[in-house]
Amino acid sequence: MEGSNAVGNTYVIRPNYQHKFKAAVVKECIRNVLQGALSGRQYEPQEVPFLSRSLADSIKEKVKETGLDRYKLVVQVVIGEQRGEGVKMAARCFWDADTDSYAQDVYMNVSCSDDCTQIAANGGRVITAFDEH
Amino acid sequence: MHSEKKMTNLRDTWRSDDLKRHIQGGGYDEDAARRRDRARRDEEAKAHRSGASVERRHRERDGSAQERRSHGDRDRDGEGDGNRERRTHRDLEKDRDGAGGERAGSRDVRSHRDRDRDRERDRRKDSTRDRVADGDERERERRKERERDRTADARQRDTGKEGRDRGQERTGNENRDRERRRAERDGERDAERHRRRAEGMGGGERDRDRRRERGGERDRDRDREREHERRKDRDPYADRARGHNAKHLKEGDEVGDTRDRRSKREHRRQKENEEYREQRRREKEERDRRRTAREEREGGDREAGRERRRRERKKEEEEEEEQCVEEEAPPTTAKTKRRSWDPSALEKEKKDAEVGKVTSEDQGQEEDAEEEEEYEDDFEDYEEDFEDDEEAGSGGDGGGAAREEVEAIRRAMEAENERIGSALLSPQGLEEGDAPDPAVSRHRPAPKGKFIDFVAAKHREVSKKVAIKQKKRSSDLLRLIDLDFSVTFSLLDMPPLSEYDMYIKSFGTTNTKQAYVQCNEDNMEREIQTEEVETSEKWTQHPADRGAVCGGASLALESLDESVTSVNFDSQRLAAFLLSASQVVSVLLEEDRAERLSLGKPRTQEDGLSFSDGGLHLNPGVPFLRGREVALIVFSQVQRQTVLSVHRPLAGPSAVRLDSNTILCVWNIWEPSQPQKILVYESEVLCCCFSPGRATLVFAGTAVGSLVLWDLRERSDLHCNIRIGDHDWTLRYPTFSTDSVLASSSHLSSVTSLEPIPTSAVEARRAGLPLLSSKEESSGLSFQLASLDEKGVLNLWVVVELPQADQAGSQNDLGLKPGGKVKLLLSSSIITLERLSPGDSTDVGPVHSLLLKFLPSDSNHFFIATSTGLVAHGTRHGPRRPPRFYKPRAAGPTPSRVTSLDFSPFGEPLFLVGCDDSTVRLHSVATEFPIMEWSCRGPVLSGHWSLTRPTVFCVLDSAPTLHLWDLSQKDLEPTAVESLRSDSVTAMAVFGDPSKQNTFSGISLARSSGKIEIHYFNTKWTSSAPDELEKLESLLYGAH
Repeated sequence: MEGSNAVGNTYVIRPNYQHKFKAAVVKECIRNVLQGALSGRQYEPQEVPFLSRSLADSIKEKVKETGLDRYKLVVQVVIGEQRGEGVKMAARCFWDADTDSYAQDVYMNVSCSDDCTQIAANGGRVITAFDEH
Repeated sequence: MHSEKKMTNLRDTWRSDDLKRHIQGGGYDEDAARRRDRARRDEEAKAHRSGASVERRHRERDGSAQERRSHGDRDRDGEGDGNRERRTHRDLEKDRDGAGGERAGSRDVRSHRDRDRDRERDRRKDSTRDRVADGDERERERRKERERDRTADARQRDTGKEGRDRGQERTGNENRDRERRRAERDGERDAERHRRRAEGMGGGERDRDRRRERGGERDRDRDREREHERRKDRDPYADRARGHNAKHLKEGDEVGDTRDRRSKREHRRQKENEEYREQRRREKEERDRRRTAREEREGGDREAGRERRRRERKKEEEEEEEQCVEEEAPPTTAKTKRRSWDPSALEKEKKDAEVGKVTSEDQGQEEDAEEEEEYEDDFEDYEEDFEDDEEAGSGGDGGGAAREEVEAIRRAMEAENERIGSALLSPQGLEEGDAPDPAVSRHRPAPKGKFIDFVAAKHREVSKKVAIKQKKRSSDLLRLIDLDFSVTFSLLDMPPLSEYDMYIKSFGTTNTKQAYVQCNEDNMEREIQTEEVETSEKWTQHPADRGAVCGGASLALESLDESVTSVNFDSQRLAAFLLSASQVVSVLLEEDRAERLSLGKPRTQEDGLSFSDGGLHLNPGVPFLRGREVALIVFSQVQRQTVLSVHRPLAGPSAVRLDSNTILCVWNIWEPSQPQKILVYESEVLCCCFSPGRATLVFAGTAVGSLVLWDLRERSDLHCNIRIGDHDWTLRYPTFSTDSVLASSSHLSSVTSLEPIPTSAVEARRAGLPLLSSKEESSGLSFQLASLDEKGVLNLWVVVELPQADQAGSQNDLGLKPGGKVKLLLSSSIITLERLSPGDSTDVGPVHSLLLKFLPSDSNHFFIATSTGLVAHGTRHGPRRPPRFYKPRAAGPTPSRVTSLDFSPFGEPLFLVGCDDSTVRLHSVATEFPIMEWSCRGPVLSGHWSLTRPTVFCVLDSAPTLHLWDLSQKDLEPTAVESLRSDSVTAMAVFGDPSKQNTFSGISLARSSGKIEIHYFNTKWTSSAPDELEKLESLLYGAH
């Protein structure tokens, strides 16, 4: 943020290749986090807000660890209960298609128990925005 | 005008900062903010206790912030928004601490202020204590005093500042337009934010939190609760007080006041409020007036509907002014005091206990009483805080008095705020008015020049720079980067479960799925395979009808064929059977008939013939034989009952086809009714004979010199069948004929005699073979045939039977009839005439050989009867034996033809010769002359030995008389002479069977009428005595 008074245009508007947002890697991160947190859990409405928030945070941390330089990350976690209802989710972004991308993963808790309460997490949808400096 | 520029910059900075706050503020959480507030308060409390510099810093900061707020948010009603503002400022300040010379200066100012404030606070503490002790009167007086002072000061200050501000504002106006746009934007946002904050944050909530924190002291809590209620009641009042509508304000005030009075029993307050209201009314009027004036002035180029924008712009301008004041004004103590009071008077600082207290004290001492009262409500909280802190530190303090004082201070602060807000509006009007109203000018200076916060300025500058940079950057980057809407990603699409799935999920087996498969189970077919039953209709009959044993309408072709073959097979067997059976049957029938006939007619004839034992007639009824003369009658030597008769063709021309042909009939004497076979030949047949064995072959020698042969075994279908009358007759033509085929080797003259060469019985006996077998052999068709023609040529033929008949005819044997199997091969030919014609018989004429006989005991010897009455004797091979000729006793050749020649059938070397000169001679083979010689009444036609008695022979002459000789009885004359009357007899033959079982013998006579009579000899002539043969011998030899 140190203001080098615009001598020229020194903006970096594209990330390095190695720092580019790779959806597969991020998706793996999301999956790991979701699996670790949600496997074997039952859906409890009181816990879910906190759970989703914490999941989003941990996903964000995880994704940051992958070395996404100058990316701004937006993580969205939606947890729902599977009771046979249909769900339809869609997302739309206003972004620079060259640099920005998204990754998403869906984790469904397979209920082995008799009561059919289970967790379906539209896991961490990470929408990144590349911050150009 | 660097300073002006800076000012604008600062303002920009503030705006951007504000923007930032706005952005951050959205995500803020009330709890967190409260928490942070609490922490800060604690910290500040500590700082307050330890040192004043921190406190002052806070105050300064708060001052600037509050100023800003007071400018920007005249119509906003929330109380807690200042927290955030303050905090952010503080943070920024902290960052920037220690930098900039201005700050040092300001610190000095602050230190002064602090000092003053400390002092004031002490005083105020005292005063509150006094108040608690002395009552409200004193306090009220003091406050009035203070208010008076304050108004005076403000007036002074405003008038002093006025000129400066105006100048600055004029210059600043140039920037104003530029900044206005941004200001508008910011202002809008600010307004938005404030509204939100007001909604989200109630004073009550805050208070409750505070209460919780300080939960230790119950009394206090209760008091505070009460206060809180009061404040709640007052809040709308405060809002209204800050509003532009004076009337509304008044009403609100009244309501609020009554409520205050009721709850708190603060009577003095009423007065104060009234004063305050009074003043505020004045202020408001002034403000409105100013605004309207300005609007009138500026209305030309500005849209009337943009009131709010204008107001905001005014705020900016006022800010500018303030900043100018801050920068340019020397840090005099009075100004510092005022400035330091101003922030403290701001409602935002209510939560800052120290600052709040200081300001309230300042207010109490220096400021106008009315203003002080205005702010009193706002300050209540701060006083409480302060008191709390103090109490925590020093202990026991009168709660009620403090509350009242705090209330007063709060009200005063509110008033101050309002005043500042109104004053901030004024400068523009003043600027542009050029001739300001004295009343207006009196009030206007109050907020002016109060806030000169260098840290904030610095901060604003920096943040402004940052904002500019960011803006530039964003504008630069937006040119480079294209932002676009991404495709809509479908993050999750999960269709609703069907009812069945749900059911299975809850009640189905775990980890299993149900699926339907169509395996066509219900589509079953049943089939039974059976062989079709074949049915056919058949009939059967036994015995078979016309060769068909069985049959049916729906007979298949094959079965038809089978039946045909079976019929054929059966027919063959049947034919064979019928052949044999029919013979038997027919014989039986014939016998039966003959029996009946013999009962009648033969009897009569028998009367005529003494020797006859009866007789019969061979069928005279055969139509084509009628009228024919029987030339010959020949019996088979083996089958004694079989007789062959030769019927000469009719002399005259006849219409009947067969009349020119010679017909030969084969008869069985047991069935005289009709001939068994009928043989036909075109020319006249002179001689004929059977095959030596069974009578299967018939040979005939013809007048044209050919030999013909009939095979009686041939089936009738090979021959011509004619129907004459009611009967079918089979006319058999010769199987083999030597007519022209063997012309060169055949006879050149008519054949007069045919004789099979007997396989001599002597040889057969020598071989020791039984008679039957010899017969069998002879019937084996391996025999020779000798034929003699008139010229004396003796031909010997071999009879050959082909193994297989050829229906198409043979190409080599042209004489063989198609389908015939037997043919003749010429083996040798002997000329016998030289021998027969001795030189001495020249006068007799040509000698014809007439008859041929072989010696039965030795076939090598043959005897030929000649037309000269002599019998020539010759041999086929070997030396000639004497006598060459057998002569009659009469010397010299006689022109008599030998008509018969017959050897004794019992093996005696005797033969009987009959001549047409009516003599009969009995010759012995060994002697030339006859043993005995008899004479008959007429020329001898035929003479034959009896087959059953060796001494008996019969001679037929043409008289016709039949002579019977029995040599054992008399040898000189015939024993019996029978004259056969009626017809003349043309031929005669003797038959008989010498076998012991059924001995029969007889003669057959052929009448010239064509009748053939058969006469059986009676037993006198048949049965022979055992010594007859010896008698014959003795007779013959004894006679010599």
